[in-house]
Amino acid sequence: MTIELFTREFESIRAQLKSYLLRITASIADAEDIVQDTYIKALEKLNTFRGESSLKTWLFTIASNLAKDNLRAQKRWVENVTDITKQAALSNRQFFEEAMNIRMTSPQGQFEVKEHIAFCFTCISKSLPLEQQLCVFLKEVYDFKVSEISTILDTNEAMVKYYLHTGRSKMISIFDGRCALINKEGVCHQCSELNGIFNPKQNTQEEIMKIELAKEAGKGNKEQLFDLRMAILKEIDPFQSKAGELQLHHLEHNRGVMDKYQENTSA
Amino acid sequence: MATTTMSQNGKATTLKTTFSRETSVAIEIKADAAIVWALLTKASDYPRWNSTITSIEGNIAPGEKIKLKSKLDAKRTFTLTIKEFEPQKRLVWGDGQGNRIYILNKTANGVLFSMTEKIGGFMFPLYGGMIPSFDQSFEQFAADLKKESETIMNSK
Repeated sequence: MTIELFTREFESIRAQLKSYLLRITASIADAEDIVQDTYIKALEKLNTFRGESSLKTWLFTIASNLAKDNLRAQKRWVENVTDITKQAALSNRQFFEEAMNIRMTSPQGQFEVKEHIAFCFTCISKSLPLEQQLCVFLKEVYDFKVSEISTILDTNEAMVKYYLHTGRSKMISIFDGRCALINKEGVCHQCSELNGIFNPKQNTQEEIMKIELAKEAGKGNKEQLFDLRMAILKEIDPFQSKAGELQLHHLEHNRGVMDKYQENTSA
Repeated sequence: MATTTMSQNGKATTLKTTFSRETSVAIEIKADAAIVWALLTKASDYPRWNSTITSIEGNIAPGEKIKLKSKLDAKRTFTLTIKEFEPQKRLVWGDGQGNRIYILNKTANGVLFSMTEKIGGFMFPLYGGMIPSFDQSFEQFAADLKKESETIMNSK
């Protein structure tokens, strides 16, 4: 493969790679750095690429290894991350001032409930063990087959199935216990609260009912609801969406809060 | 010395002597040994798939201590040490009263899983009668492990 062809192919995969890295690192800077490092490392090793897997699989392998090196030293987040970060946001006036400024001035400053659902999944998925989190994203959002994920993560297919099954089960269980959008017992109303703040003239309930996940909630098939949640993530590129800047601001805030929280709890 | 021949149908057998009691169960699981081993060694995940266990705290790793609560004796917390840990082959945990031994033998279709617990000692005649039978709990454990392992193995 020539460098020109490789670069062209890389550019066609870059957006997916970057959103994957953002979702597993929860850091804009880390995602951008790892994308760049992936390009450099792949270019250095281009003569070893034999086409035994697709270029996309090969690039995700390199990126996942770089991300794992970065993430292994970090503690995993906790399941109630959104409660912790909400409390921090409520006592941080600057956070809301910045967010409202983005909302008013940025073309990527719209607030959409769907985008917040995707954002919320990113944060909570960081409470999964790393292998489970990677498998869930690779399979459910980036459409890799089990065999391809086993290549990307350098493990056997049986373990990929184990990570996928346990990761899915854990996420279903967490959302079942806390997401008010799909469960009357759920305790979290952040989607509707934030919609009320950023879109005060909008009928929140009407907005929520436009989302397939919310419409199907009454039927209560947890596996299907999880798949609908994943369909929302697939539709959204967190860097390019209409809510991109607002949600990325929110994500950076959460990462900062969680970094401090981890420091304090490990001290 | 008494010996037992374990059937592989998921039915528990118990052998009693004056100073000990040994319960065993074995079942064939049509799944990769890696999956069965992962389920057996992820402590916090037990309550999700195993209906006989309320919780296990700690890490199932060589030399580690775990705190186990079972449905069979809901009021007690058992503090157990991981005594043997041979990946995808053999796991043993226990305390001063006895050991629980898990063995995986690879077969053409997956794994032959067996589980044995022997409790006893010189004082056993005094308290042995107060310990409930393990048979039903063992059968349920094996059935739960088989079901979960095969569900994962057959997932796409």
